[in-house]
Amino acid sequence: MASISSIRNFSFSRAYDKFSRKLSRAALNAVGSRENLPTISNPKTIHAIDWIGKKLSSAENRLILGASALLSQPFIDASNKDVDLETRKYSVCRTIAKIIAGTATGYTIRKLCIKSIDAFTKSVSDIKPDMKFKKLRTLLTPTLKYTADELSQYKNTLGTILALGVMVFTNFLIDAPLTKGLTNAFTKLGGVRNDESK
Amino acid sequence: MMNPSKMFNNFKNTILTKYGPNPAKMLIYTGVLGWFLSSAAQVVAIAVNDKIPKEQKMFLIPQEIGDGAVNVVSFFLVTSVIKNFASRLVSSGKLATPKIRKFLTDSGINIRTKKGWKVLSNFDFSKFNIKNMMNFSQIKDEYNSFKNGVDVIGMTVGSILSCNIITPVLRNKIAANRQQKTLARMNAIDSEKVNYPRGISMDTYQKYAALKYSIPSSSLKI
Repeated sequence: MASISSIRNFSFSRAYDKFSRKLSRAALNAVGSRENLPTISNPKTIHAIDWIGKKLSSAENRLILGASALLSQPFIDASNKDVDLETRKYSVCRTIAKIIAGTATGYTIRKLCIKSIDAFTKSVSDIKPDMKFKKLRTLLTPTLKYTADELSQYKNTLGTILALGVMVFTNFLIDAPLTKGLTNAFTKLGGVRNDESK
Repeated sequence: MMNPSKMFNNFKNTILTKYGPNPAKMLIYTGVLGWFLSSAAQVVAIAVNDKIPKEQKMFLIPQEIGDGAVNVVSFFLVTSVIKNFASRLVSSGKLATPKIRKFLTDSGINIRTKKGWKVLSNFDFSKFNIKNMMNFSQIKDEYNSFKNGVDVIGMTVGSILSCNIITPVLRNKIAANRQQKTLARMNAIDSEKVNYPRGISMDTYQKYAALKYSIPSSSLKI
């Protein structure tokens, strides 16, 4: 029988992490050749991979998700045989509108929040005499020792958390009306029946 | 009780140590948090909306919670499996740069051939981790940069698959299935005595179903 402490110590995230690691290990031994190990030799490719690890923040990630969503989701909606043709057409228009609105606000808010966090995460050496709010500039700077890359990821994390909080509201205040407006424009353009615009 | 300033410093340092060296992990957890918040906001918006009758709320809220759970779980499962796999490709030495290969060759793990590099036939990738090697510090910077990049690429591929392909297909299927079941049940009984979903007519239900797909719902990622 499971003891109370083992139940208390159980964490879904930890258990899942263990499971996914096991799965990836099994896949690891099954994938690829042992005789000719894959090696990335092109310096430009190596540089690009390093750049992605260092510079790609949640904002760029959201942009990539939005761009790829435009290439996949309208086609998924267009091939949804569970609804009639007119609903399918409307659904495609709305999906495109939703992706554009969500990506534009998601990217902009994340970028602005990461930039705002950056303004208050300065090292003492970064503070110049002509700077305003000098005392607040180190408000969010961690007290532990860090490398430049680690600090950059730290700012991205705090900025993303702040952005998520902001977007709970902008989801209704900006995304929803923008999606509605764009949907109306697209349905009008495509000659699709739109009961919601009435 | 802990001093608020100390708590704030602890918070900042935890974020730094947990996510500073691991950007892909940060993207996964903030992605999960994003899905969770957008679903929760949608549920709260329905719950506090005075224009929606109580009976309708009893129907719409569980539906939103269900959709939110599909979004959060499928994002987390798919993205972390692919990210962990990408991560292990690098940490096991299966995928590397020439500098890392040279290091592994010098340490006797890889063997240089005319074609490139190979390992002995009994070598178990699943049990090997470059980070556990004694002289790992020689290659640490090169390795960390490469691994973080591959991790983020893995995470991005995972989130594209999850958010743009698996989740929409899964959600469409679940929604269609739920709608069909409910309509079938409502058709099976006399419309005057409809009691599922509680207290609403077939016509109203169909309006809800249509509305569900025409307002920005939890399927809208923030």
